[in-house]
Amino acid sequence: MPVRSSFAIAVRALRRNRLQTSLTIVGMTIGVAAVLAMIAIGTGAEAAITDQIRAAGMNLIVVSAGNYKMKSTDDFGGGAVEPSAALRLLSFLEPVLLAHPEDDPMEKHDHPTARQRLGDSEAGLGSAATLTAADADAIRGIRGVQYVAEGLHQNVHVVAGEKRWFTRLHGTDLQLPLIRRAWTFSRGRFFNSGEQSRAEQVVVLGSVAAERLFGDANPVGRDASLWRQRFRVVGVVTTASWIVAPAPGDDQFDAVYIPFSTMHRLLNLAKLNDITITAASTGEVSRIMSDVTLLLRARHHIGEDKPDDFTVTTQARQALAKGGMRPDVARAVVGNVSGLEKVTLEQLGKTLDRATRTMTALLAGIAAVSLLVGGIGIMNVMLLSVTERTREIGIRRAVGARARDVRSQFVLEAVALSVAGGLIGVVAGLIASRGLSHYLRWSATISPAAVLVSVGVAAAVGIFFGWYPARQAARLDPIQSLRYE
Amino acid sequence: MSRAEDALIAVRDVTKVYAMEGASVHALRGITLDIDRGEFVAVVGPSGSGKSTFMHILGCLDRPTGGRYLLGGRDVSDLSDDELSAIRNRQIGFVFQGFNLLPRTSAVENVELPLLYAHRSRISPAERRRRAMVALAAVGLEDRAAHHPSQLSGGQQQRVAIARALLNDPAILFADEPTGNLDSRTSIEVMEIFQRLKADRGITIVLITHEPQVAEYGSRIIRFKDGRVVSDRPNASRRAAADELAAVALEPEDAGA
Repeated sequence: MPVRSSFAIAVRALRRNRLQTSLTIVGMTIGVAAVLAMIAIGTGAEAAITDQIRAAGMNLIVVSAGNYKMKSTDDFGGGAVEPSAALRLLSFLEPVLLAHPEDDPMEKHDHPTARQRLGDSEAGLGSAATLTAADADAIRGIRGVQYVAEGLHQNVHVVAGEKRWFTRLHGTDLQLPLIRRAWTFSRGRFFNSGEQSRAEQVVVLGSVAAERLFGDANPVGRDASLWRQRFRVVGVVTTASWIVAPAPGDDQFDAVYIPFSTMHRLLNLAKLNDITITAASTGEVSRIMSDVTLLLRARHHIGEDKPDDFTVTTQARQALAKGGMRPDVARAVVGNVSGLEKVTLEQLGKTLDRATRTMTALLAGIAAVSLLVGGIGIMNVMLLSVTERTREIGIRRAVGARARDVRSQFVLEAVALSVAGGLIGVVAGLIASRGLSHYLRWSATISPAAVLVSVGVAAAVGIFFGWYPARQAARLDPIQSLRYE
Repeated sequence: MSRAEDALIAVRDVTKVYAMEGASVHALRGITLDIDRGEFVAVVGPSGSGKSTFMHILGCLDRPTGGRYLLGGRDVSDLSDDELSAIRNRQIGFVFQGFNLLPRTSAVENVELPLLYAHRSRISPAERRRRAMVALAAVGLEDRAAHHPSQLSGGQQQRVAIARALLNDPAILFADEPTGNLDSRTSIEVMEIFQRLKADRGITIVLITHEPQVAEYGSRIIRFKDGRVVSDRPNASRRAAADELAAVALEPEDAGA
C-alpha cells in the first residue's frame, strides 16, 4: 500500500480523536522543546566561552613595571585549590609544568627598583616606577603592534552628590576599548583623543560604579569627583559577556577610567604601572615580546649582567583571573595549572569547549528523559487506541485491509503524533531558548542540524513506541474484532 | 463434484473446530453445498447452529479446519492472510447487524474505505470520492454524504454500509443479521435493496438471519442446526420487498413501525 494513502488513513483516524491526539502531541512537544533548548543553551555556552577566550586575548601582551625573583612553589591565593568536579577536566591540560615566577602576585621581588613605591596601596607587580609614557610611545613603533594602552592603577574614592564609592581607578589610553573586546558602552562613550591630549577631567564609569553612584539615572554629562577634582562623566562601560554579571570588586566594571594624561597632570606623575599591548597577529606575540624586552632594556640602560626592571607576559593569567571567568573556574585554572603562559589559549579554549560539550551532553541527556516520557505517552495512547478501535480494525480487515496495512496505519499514526509534536517542539524550543537567552543574558544558538536531529529523533521515538501497539493491532483476529463491543 | 468449478461458491465437507480450554467445539460438522451466481440465499438457524461460522468461512474472514472451499473455482481454504484480505477486498462485500461504520467519519469516507485497500489498482482520491458518491446515490443517500454515522438513522447507516460493501463491485454480498437492529419498515427497505441488487446487477447474496420471515425474501433457504445443514430448498413463495413497500407507503407513516 502506498505510504501516502496509509498516511491519509492515519491522519484521518487521528483527527477523529482530537483531545487525545493533542494531549499526546503536547507530551512530545515538551520533550523535543526541552532537548532543543538544552542543546541551544549548551552550544551557546560553548560559543560564548570561545568568544570569551578570544576576548581575553590570545594576542595580549602586558608589560608591568618591576620584576620578580624566581619562586619554587606554585600557589595561588595562599592555599591549594580544590577545583569543583566539573573543572577537574581541566587538570589534563598539557603540559603540566613546574613553578613559574609570576604565580604569586603578593610575593615581592628583591630588585632594587621594586622598593621604589609611590605610597599607594599597591604592593607588587606594576608598582615600580620604571615604565613611562615615553616607553609606551616607543613600543607603538614596534612592527606588528596593534594597540597600546598605558595603564595606571589606584584605589580611589569617587564622589557624586551625596554618594561615595571606593573603587578602582584606571588611568589609560583611549585605545583600551579596542583591546577589551568584551566591552560595550551602555551609555555614552570612551574618552576621545582630544580629551586625552588636553588631559581633560573626563571619566568613564564601569557599570558597577555607575550603578552605585547614580543608580538607574543616566550619569552621562553629570559630574563626579576624584581627589576633590570635578570630572565630567562621558560614558558607562559594561560587559558584553554572559559568563559573569559584573559585581562589586570587579576590576573592570567596579572601576572608573580616566585618560592617563589627566592622571599624570593631576598627580604630577610620569610613571606607568603597566602597558597593555596587542599584537596584530597572534603568531607574532613571541617576537613582539622579545622586541619589547630589547627595546625597554635599551631605553632603561640595563647592562647585560642585570635583570630586567620590568616584566613582559601574555595576559592569559590576568585575563583568567580577572576578566570574564567565573571566579571558581579562574581559580581552578590559575591555581592548578603551572606554567600557564606556556599553555596556549587555544589549548585552554579546547579544554573548556570539551567541558561545555560535556555539560551540553548532560543537559541534553536530562532533556532526553522527557522525550522518553513523551514516547511512552505515545505508546500508552496507541495501546489504548488499539483497544478502543478494535472494532474499527475489524471493519478495516473485513473490507480488505491486510495485517500489515493495519500495522502501518498505527505506526504512521504514532509517527504523525511524534513528528507533529516534534515540529511544534522545535518552534517551542526556539522560543524557549530565545526567551532564556534574553532573560539570562545567555547566548543560545540553535543550529539547523540540531533542529533536524530533534525532528528525526521524534520520528524515531514514534516508530519505536508505535511499533508494539501497531503489532498488537495487526495481530487482532478480524472476526473477534468485529464482535468487540 | 463436477459442478464445483462452475458454482460461484463450492463447499465440500467443510468442518470447523475451535479449541476452547482443552475441549474442542465443533462449529461445523461437514458442510457440502454449492451456491450459483445470482442466488439470494438465506441461511437460517438458531444461535450456535454454526451459521455465522459458515458465513465467516465463506467470507474469507476465517479458514476451515477441514474440507475444501472453492470461490469462483479457486481453492481458498489454504490461502495466506494477505491473499484472503485481497479476496475480501475485491470479491466480497459485508453488511453487519451493527452496521460497523467508522465513528466520527463521514458517510462518504466510510464508503470509500475498501478503495483505500485496493492495492492493485491505483485510484486517485478524486476518483475514490466520485465512486463513493455513485455508490451512495445508489442507496439514495447522496445528500447525506457529509453526515457522520451518529447523525444518521439506523436504516440510513445500514444503507451506507451497503454502499460500502458494493463499492468494489463484489461478486458476493454477505449480510449477517442486517435487519437485526432495524424496525420492520426499514428492514423491508434493506431487503428491497438486496432484491434489486440481485435482479439488476446479478449479485450473489448470502443472508444470515434467525428470523424466518426475513429469510422469506431469499430465493433459497438453507437451515442450519448443530453445525449441519438440516434443509436446503428453493423458496418459491418469496416475499417481494418492493411490493410490500408500496403497500406500506399508502398507510400512515407510523403504521409500519
